[in-house]
Amino acid sequence: MAEEKKPDAAPPKPPGPPAPPPPKNPGFVTAIVDGKEVVVKPGTTVIEAAKAVGIDIPYYCYHKRLSIAANCRMCLVEMSNAPGGKLMPACQMPVAEGVTVKTDTPRVKDQQRATLEFLLLNHPVDCSICDQAGECKLQDYYMAYDRQPSRLDVPKVMKGKRVELGPTVTLDQERCILCTRCVRFMREVAENPQLGVAQRGNESFITTFPGQPLDDKYAGNVVDICPVGALTSTDFRFRGRVWFMSSARSVCTGCARGCNTFLDYLNDVTYRYRPRENDAVNEEWMCDDGRTSYKYLNAGRVLVAREGRGANAQPLPRKVAPRRAAEVLLPHVAAGSLAVLLSPVASLEDLLVACKVAKEGLKVGEVYAGGRADGWQDDFLKRADENPNRKGLELAAAAYGLAVRPFADLVAAAGAGKVKGLWAVGTEVPDAKAAEKLGALEIVAQSYGDAALAQHAAVLLPASPHSEMDGTFVNFEGRAQRFEMAYFPKGESRPHWALAAELGAALGLPLAFASGREVFAALGPQLGSALGDFAWDSLPSTGSRLGIVPLAAGTVDGRLPGNRDRVPSETTEDYRRAMSRTS
Amino acid sequence: MPYQLENRPPDLRESMYFPEIIRGIGTITKHFLKNLFFSRDANPDILARKRGGFGHSDNVTLQYPEERAPYAPAYRGLHRLVPREDGKPRCVACYMCATICPAQCIYIEAAEYPDDPVEKYPAKFVIDELRCIVCGFCVEACPKDAIRMDSGEHTPPSYERSAQIWDEKRLLRGPPVSYQYDPWLRRGSPSIPPDKLEEMRARAKPFPTVATDEASQTPGFSVRALAAEAKDRAQAARK
Ligand code: SF4
Ligand code: SF4
Ligand code: SF4
Ligand code: SF4
Ligand code: FES
Repeated sequence: MAEEKKPDAAPPKPPGPPAPPPPKNPGFVTAIVDGKEVVVKPGTTVIEAAKAVGIDIPYYCYHKRLSIAANCRMCLVEMSNAPGGKLMPACQMPVAEGVTVKTDTPRVKDQQRATLEFLLLNHPVDCSICDQAGECKLQDYYMAYDRQPSRLDVPKVMKGKRVELGPTVTLDQERCILCTRCVRFMREVAENPQLGVAQRGNESFITTFPGQPLDDKYAGNVVDICPVGALTSTDFRFRGRVWFMSSARSVCTGCARGCNTFLDYLNDVTYRYRPRENDAVNEEWMCDDGRTSYKYLNAGRVLVAREGRGANAQPLPRKVAPRRAAEVLLPHVAAGSLAVLLSPVASLEDLLVACKVAKEGLKVGEVYAGGRADGWQDDFLKRADENPNRKGLELAAAAYGLAVRPFADLVAAAGAGKVKGLWAVGTEVPDAKAAEKLGALEIVAQSYGDAALAQHAAVLLPASPHSEMDGTFVNFEGRAQRFEMAYFPKGESRPHWALAAELGAALGLPLAFASGREVFAALGPQLGSALGDFAWDSLPSTGSRLGIVPLAAGTVDGRLPGNRDRVPSETTEDYRRAMSRTS
Repeated sequence: MPYQLENRPPDLRESMYFPEIIRGIGTITKHFLKNLFFSRDANPDILARKRGGFGHSDNVTLQYPEERAPYAPAYRGLHRLVPREDGKPRCVACYMCATICPAQCIYIEAAEYPDDPVEKYPAKFVIDELRCIVCGFCVEACPKDAIRMDSGEHTPPSYERSAQIWDEKRLLRGPPVSYQYDPWLRRGSPSIPPDKLEEMRARAKPFPTVATDEASQTPGFSVRALAAEAKDRAQAARK
């Protein structure tokens, strides 16, 4: 038996990993992605580094505003420093100095195909029913990376098909790929962890806790971040196909925050709001109340001018309406019993023209601020002030030296008999009961809808809301934000600025504008430096989407409109051209 | 057969006129008498009709509307919305047909079944047959085999444009079709009794790979069969 020989000296150390190379760009990390050199800040993930040089790595669970879960495995890439040459999740790995990343090798492609096959294994392929079709990452990546027929020959796992998680969100558990973005959103952004994953393996599903609905005010955002069609918006569900719709870059009018939105529309109907990214205002979120605040754009609109109220009401031709309005107001101007009510829901352009007419045409020294009543508020986005443009109203009034008085003062003045006539630019009032008291006044109202004050109007002029005009809102921080026209004004409605300018012209002021841009160019300088470096034409050009272009031919011979047709509107061609963005 | 005219000077008989005139009158009289007194083959397959020869007239015209020529196999005919076995449309209002339709003549409004495993159905499905250019793209685009042009029928004429706007009630007709992967077969549907569901599952076809597969044609529909039917009708009428 040979005795085990003790080595008399410690064996030489195996050569360890080579020392990291000295950084090529001190303070930054330099790596190679697909042969391209990338210089990024330390800690940047491979996915973001690759994006910086225009290389797209597919991903599902990664979201740049949420924590990293790295559970979908769609983003695996080859990295030269991976232990054992394993594929690494690009969403989670920070780039290291001198690493070589490859995203298009056969191994990576094979992995992407396998991941997609796995994700689609139990996915019901509901694309024809699913509301996310056209915006679904499974569809997109299947076409880009997979294109293999299914090899599944056992029945798919069936789960809840229509689970109403809460008032705004409906879940299809079968379609979920368990990326947990929604769970992380509720925990980290909404800070209200109402969602979780239940069960194990292919039985797992997203759910709320028993008896606790998903009723957070920001729950609607999980619909936007769900990469597949699992979470759908109960409000938008099945109402239209997204590929038909066009998007205009707009601003939410739900509160003074002014979240940046996409306004999705088709055939002069607004279908939904989606948040638009703006780090300074709303990152990429919006609240559920804001999401459903589009409804007044579609329903209950007044589309023709009208004179008289109740049973005596009769339509007014467009040409004579401003003259009739001026005739109603002029006696009160002479008697000094006229008040002007401005709504902070109208745009800055609207209010500039309105203030000019109030000051120079109607000779008033103060205006009253109407607007919607206050609502709820939290420390994330939503402001109690549910008017998008209160700051704009103050700025416009200040530009013309008009004092702004609260609505209650108007009610008091009307009660005391000091005010007998009223010009209301926008009929939103914070107090519906008080509005009844104003019914005794002689009112000229410009209104989107036919409620409250508008019903008492002696002359009612139909106004176009922000979906039908170009303009600006100033949010509560004083940030001026442009929104763009989605479709032409409906019926005979016109933006407040156009109506105010017509009224001003009837009063003898030399006012005529062809577009919101012209209004701002002419009256904007009055504001001085109040808007900082805001430039009217600076609306970022990325992100708007033109849907399928409607047939030019209308359905003039009485045929039903196809769903891409634009039914010819009553607006004259000249006016439409004048209102259009391009000319 | 085209009449051959040779380019040569008239011979003696032709230059005498009268014999040729009498011969021409004779030819006309022969055809006149044959077409007047001998029978016309009434085979509805008009290409197979006998004409001329003993006992047959030269006349091959159709006696419309008593006799109708079957359409060629290339003729697809009026649209139909394919029903499920319980009478509801197979259509899930996906708008694929409306999207692809170059004439933009399909109008759809989607709605939701309260209880069915297929949540969506067309509350309104309208085709303007006057605008349709009969391209068949809608049939190709449909992922559910829910719209077909296999009726072989012509759009019936009408005096009003509005009568050519076909809604889902008029479009939904013809034999139902089932596939193995139909969700209402897999998950069951409250509107189909369980035993009927079993029967449907047993009968369901695998999904065809292309829309024009033989499997996706209406069972029993063929031009030959239509011709044979017409022939039988004609014979029965003669007896
Ligand atoms: S519901 Fe959507 S967001 Fe949530 S885990 Fe499933 S796929 Fe992801
Ligand atoms: S926080 Fe205000 S602006 Fe933003 S979405 Fe909600 S209501 Fe609209
Ligand atoms: S056949 Fe062609 S034109 Fe007619 S409805 Fe179908 S897609 Fe449209
Ligand atoms: S393509 Fe088929 S399923 Fe989709 S809407 Fe048209 S008929 Fe219905
Ligand atoms: S995105 Fe990296 S694992 Fe999901």
